[in-house]
Amino acid sequence: MNGFVNWLAGTQWSIALHESLYMYSITESAHVMAIMLFVGTIMMVDLRLLGVSYRKTPVSEMTNRILPWTVGGFIVLCITGVMLFYAIPIRTWHSIWFRIKCVLLVVGMINITWFTFKVERDKAKWDLGPTPRNARISAGVSLFVWTFVIVFGRLIAYNWTDCDQNQSPFIQQIEDCKAVPADT
Amino acid sequence: MSLFHIAQGIEGSPVGQTIRESTWLFPAIEVIHLLCLAVLGGAVLMTALGVFGVGLKTPTPKEIEVSTRPYMTTAVVAILITGLLLGASEPVKLIDREAFLIKMVSLVLALLFTYFVFNPIVRKGDTGVRARTAAGVVMALWFTVALSGRWIGFS
Repeated sequence: MNGFVNWLAGTQWSIALHESLYMYSITESAHVMAIMLFVGTIMMVDLRLLGVSYRKTPVSEMTNRILPWTVGGFIVLCITGVMLFYAIPIRTWHSIWFRIKCVLLVVGMINITWFTFKVERDKAKWDLGPTPRNARISAGVSLFVWTFVIVFGRLIAYNWTDCDQNQSPFIQQIEDCKAVPADT
Repeated sequence: MSLFHIAQGIEGSPVGQTIRESTWLFPAIEVIHLLCLAVLGGAVLMTALGVFGVGLKTPTPKEIEVSTRPYMTTAVVAILITGLLLGASEPVKLIDREAFLIKMVSLVLALLFTYFVFNPIVRKGDTGVRARTAAGVVMALWFTVALSGRWIGFS
């Protein structure tokens, strides 16, 4: 992966995207706007599953009519997210916040898979009533994960944990600072 | 006293100084600001999508608005507080930025339009052309606030 990001950083389009006057800002803005669509809607579905809001709305209606918007937001987030990484590969890869965010993204994906293929399978039984324990756990994990994905995603932008800022051995270890090419 | 002098005064205030001189205070407030943006976006979207007929169907837009109102209001209050704090840390820089001016104007319009036009229309149970137009305007206004807000950092 270290070799890959070093190679990526030298590719023509990565440099172009990084140095462009507007393209990077537009990509970053689209990423933030899509957060409203993705997190804003998934949060509402989670709140229904937790029994906090929309208690009279069938769970199937939340998943059928709201989740497509969530998925739309997620697609935009993935595309713009990959572009943002592509524009600044080395610094991002060696960011502790980016690494924590990736772990959380994996947890979020596992949670969605668990919900889709296991938890909601028998939702006909609890479509209108209170939700079972697993559904509430999945909703809680979702709220937690996406909240902190935003938190750590935002922190990537700040430079106080960058490898070139004299980090403690612990941070250097996590960020794999030794692998940062000398000329960056 | 000019706007510049007022900005200088705020920048030199204990609140402005504390946030500016701290490493983690600005990012922490910024993160809360961003989280509230997601909640606000979700609340606006749920009601607007309902009005357009492409969101929830069982609850009427009026009922959706009632369900989302606490999130909307909490997010708005938190966004205003965190926004004031962020602004207090670098007001001299902000008053010269076009994106900041656009954000402040669209923010005032978005707040007035949401609470005095869109919400009352939805609360009356209106789902016709008037409600749809208002839903479009309300989404466009908040989108402008968020986008110009993000753009402050780039300009």
